[in-house]
Amino acid sequence: MFFDVDPSNGVPLYEQVVRQVVYAVAAESLNAGDLVPSVRELARELAINPNTVSRAYRQLQDDGVLESVRGTGLAVAAGAMARCREARVKLLQARLQQVLIEAQQSRLDPGELRGLVESELAGMNRREV
Amino acid sequence: MAPVIRLDKVSKRFGREVALDQVSLEVPPGVVFALLGENGAGKTTAIRILLGLAEPDSGSAEVLGLPSAVKGLEIRHRVGYVPERLSLYDWMTVREIGWFTAGFYGNGFLPEYQRLASQFGLPDGKKIKGLSKGMRAKVALSLAMAHQPEVLVLDEPTSGLDALVRREFLESMVDRAAAGQTVFLSSHQIGDVERVADIVAILCKGRLLVVERLDELKARVRQVTVTLADETAPFPELPGTILFERRRGRQWQALVRDAEAEGLASLGGVAGVQAIEARTPSLEEIFVAYIQPGRNTDLTREGAGRHD
Repeated sequence: MFFDVDPSNGVPLYEQVVRQVVYAVAAESLNAGDLVPSVRELARELAINPNTVSRAYRQLQDDGVLESVRGTGLAVAAGAMARCREARVKLLQARLQQVLIEAQQSRLDPGELRGLVESELAGMNRREV
Repeated sequence: MAPVIRLDKVSKRFGREVALDQVSLEVPPGVVFALLGENGAGKTTAIRILLGLAEPDSGSAEVLGLPSAVKGLEIRHRVGYVPERLSLYDWMTVREIGWFTAGFYGNGFLPEYQRLASQFGLPDGKKIKGLSKGMRAKVALSLAMAHQPEVLVLDEPTSGLDALVRREFLESMVDRAAAGQTVFLSSHQIGDVERVADIVAILCKGRLLVVERLDELKARVRQVTVTLADETAPFPELPGTILFERRRGRQWQALVRDAEAEGLASLGGVAGVQAIEARTPSLEEIFVAYIQPGRNTDLTREGAGRHD
């Protein structure tokens, strides 16, 4: 997988790394047993502080997404996919909540909002076909 | 752990100009420490005092436990230093300057220099005179890193370099930090600092305004935008310390420090408040808020066409 971070987008850098691993596992671009780059490698690749990468990896280990493989490094844990799919839903839910709050603040009524969601979904489906 | 670098109430004036005013800071081992400030804020002076190249009017400086005022030579020998303005012997080739510098260091210097030089893609036989600015900077960095110093001191390492060379510089810095070395850099490239720093210090007109872990600083400062229902409603009291604020019509935007999330959320219920939005600002926004001279700007008053 490839990582891509933006230091100024408001989400802490370590959190961006965590999310990208979670999304990659959820989308099966990283499978159970796949190794992630070492701290030093990834820090260098992204030109970010190595402590930031360690912190992200620590959290991913605590969350059961990564596990250490003796002598080789960190790999995606067995059963991580289910957890990551769950986490992905939660992240999307939080984003959706933000959008809904914004809609509420801009005085959109629920009917209009549903219409908007439906037409966006239809638009996406059309583009996919 | 004992700090690797220490400034204790250091002051320095050049004539009437105050370069540093009672600056105190400590850099623990193994971190990337970034000194941020505009041009002329005193960054280079601080570095020169640390390395014993300038004498403070008062206060003391220490690097690796050595007092800068008397052990400057030893400090400069032990740290890796890339000054803002490079002075390299122009008539030497990339290879020759490595040999020359290796004479001052141990046996490991030359192979490491050659490894770094080839990693940076430096042309071995070419004279320094004929190198581009980016290439010269890479020579200086290779020379500074080849003796595997415990501390790397970089004064504006990436200014004036193109994006590709800058990236290579950042990668090298990150790599040094990953190997447990301490990196002390001064910069006004805030985006670069935001990527690589553990601790940031903001220097403004010789005064140190903040020294803090970057992640903590970013977690503690929020940008809050309050929108009022109409222009006559009073702006609510904000929790935390206001670093910077500006108003325009019914809107009020502020950078606040140490405001509790609940405190901010409860503002939404205050009479007359139509909307409240909070986000994490970028380091650049925080930096500007701190160094802003007036800090409070009332755009309404400046703007034309509105009379009470």
